[in-house]
Amino acid sequence: MDDFIQYTINALTLGSVYALIALGYSLVYGILKLLNFAHGDVFMVGAYIGFGMLNLLGGATSPVVPVWLLLTIMVATAMAGCAVIGVAIERFAYRPLRDAPRIAPLISALGVSFFLTYSMQLLFGAEQRDYNAFSLDNGVLFLKGFDIGNVRVPLLRIVIISSAFVLMIALWLLVNRTRTGKAMRATSFDREAAAMMGIDIDRVIRFAFVLGSALAGAAGVMFALRAPASVTIGFVAGLKGFTAAVIGGIGSIPGAMVGGLMLGFAESFTQGYVSTRWSDLAVFTILILFMLFRPQGLFGRADIRKV
Amino acid sequence: MKKFSRLLALLCIAALASAAAATARPSSPSGSSAASALNCKSTLKIAFLTPLTGDAGFLGTEQMSWAKYAVKTLQGKYGLKIQLLGGDTQLDASLASSLAQKYVADPKVVAILGPSTSGAVAATSQTLYAAGLAHISPSATRTSLTKGTNREATPGFFRVVPDDSVQGPTDARFMAKNLKAKKVVLIDAQEPYSVGLADATQATLKSLGVTTIRESVNVSQSDFSSIVTKVPSDTDIVFAPFQQPPKAQTLAQQLIEQGKKAKVFGGDGTNDSDKFKVPGSYVSNFAGPIDSIPYDKAIIAGWKKDNPGATLGSFGPPAYGAAQVAMAAISKACAAGHGKLASRKAVIKQVKSVQIKNWILGGSFRFSSKTNDPFNGRFTIFQIQSDGKYKVVA
Repeated sequence: MDDFIQYTINALTLGSVYALIALGYSLVYGILKLLNFAHGDVFMVGAYIGFGMLNLLGGATSPVVPVWLLLTIMVATAMAGCAVIGVAIERFAYRPLRDAPRIAPLISALGVSFFLTYSMQLLFGAEQRDYNAFSLDNGVLFLKGFDIGNVRVPLLRIVIISSAFVLMIALWLLVNRTRTGKAMRATSFDREAAAMMGIDIDRVIRFAFVLGSALAGAAGVMFALRAPASVTIGFVAGLKGFTAAVIGGIGSIPGAMVGGLMLGFAESFTQGYVSTRWSDLAVFTILILFMLFRPQGLFGRADIRKV
Repeated sequence: MKKFSRLLALLCIAALASAAAATARPSSPSGSSAASALNCKSTLKIAFLTPLTGDAGFLGTEQMSWAKYAVKTLQGKYGLKIQLLGGDTQLDASLASSLAQKYVADPKVVAILGPSTSGAVAATSQTLYAAGLAHISPSATRTSLTKGTNREATPGFFRVVPDDSVQGPTDARFMAKNLKAKKVVLIDAQEPYSVGLADATQATLKSLGVTTIRESVNVSQSDFSSIVTKVPSDTDIVFAPFQQPPKAQTLAQQLIEQGKKAKVFGGDGTNDSDKFKVPGSYVSNFAGPIDSIPYDKAIIAGWKKDNPGATLGSFGPPAYGAAQVAMAAISKACAAGHGKLASRKAVIKQVKSVQIKNWILGGSFRFSSKTNDPFNGRFTIFQIQSDGKYKVVA
């Protein structure tokens, strides 16, 4: 039972990060029908921005601000920085190709992905970087927390899981309860009709990139607080986030959340109860099964083709 | 959605094709392609096959910086003018194969450093040897490259670090005899270096009566939470032959996080006192701390001056050594040819006889008379102290 609880905690931690990445894919796909393959690299840049901010504030061993404030600043700056990058990507890589055949922005997305990876490598090198979060306040984030049975739930995991849920709920409220959200939904439903109703499409698309990239930035910091980061982490994380978005139904916000968590559970429980070698196989088998039997995902709408 | 499904299917097929290409082996050598005689006063080229980008980019960039420093500081001593070329293998054997073909076609390339990884050696050795090119690796440690009945590398392959058949048993004996370990979990990263070292260590542990449990993680995985959950609470050691020190650090921290008493024991790939410093952990390496070797102090200072901000890792210094061996062999071949390099094979002939005093990894260096491995190669084991420093314990 203890192991089951621990795997569940592992799954929620991992799944929260995947869900935040998946939301970015879904937001952009929902509005632009574009697979933003550079999204995983925005996640990677977020991790690096968090690293830079951590160093600016004294590093993990001697931070000049309290730990809670340090984490808040790291996440906030990563979100802001990634939002700016997201806007730049949309403006320079996708907007000029908005009316081009669908393959063109896809190729552009791959180009942006490589651009981000190699620019970061040029700037910061290829080696792995570690936040060394274990050193913050003598390991308080890893060693303190509360117990479920014999299993300790460390503070850092509580922070990651709860922050991710807060961000996801905030996004859901924004999309479903605000005027801007209504404009986003309208644009997603029918871009031309939305434009005719007076909605500023460019602004809506830009806002989708701001939101998606900011969430990726937050996910990047959350990931790097627990595991080393390098310029290549975006590829696998992006692939997992994309898989989560597809499973949930690409374009669907609740779908991205559920898809991310599902992926976290699939990975964690396969590693725990089957074999660590098989976890990626399990994840991508689920993706293939969805593509074969429910291509619209859990919450997506099936294509209606008019003849 | 159908179009999207088709697109995804195409991407899957492309990924499968790429994976198939990566596992493809070159055909058997088609004969020698000796370069025409080269004037040793002209600029000769040495190419380094190493992963400069990608998951192991840290390894290649570190090695490249040391090889560059060796060329810069030693070419004059050996009476040579050397241009060092960097071939980025990206940890991809098929890419290494293409690069090998490229360097074979350049008659000015007279020796190869690397390939850095065992998989790339297996994929390129026949091509390089058929063209007469010596290839000297600073880090490919898979035992079967130079030993056993089915050797994967040709006689043109040399390495300046001992192989896994030395490291694995050394580590295993230390765990069983010095640490009195009863249960060891071995986690490989599903790549040749890691699997080979874990295999060699596990075999010796078993022969010494230690209970072993084998696990694997994806090479790109860096969160080990679930594998740590699987580690039985009575485990004494978790052996982690990873190539990235921060991964060993994360593994050790996650063991503490989940209340496991097991200590991490890392292979030479995790040897980095800046990035793996969880007290109580163990690390093995093919050299003692080189910063404590008197004649290395000036070398390290010079390298640091050329690479401001870089930290002293374990993969770089052997690349300096490999470059030194290559230049020494070229120099000897030039001397034998009276200022002319008759062919690339003339370099291969000389590599085996190279001897270097004041070897960067300590002591002196020469190759074993039986294999193309270093003579008397041995591994040192360190324990990480409470201040993060590495203390030699065996």
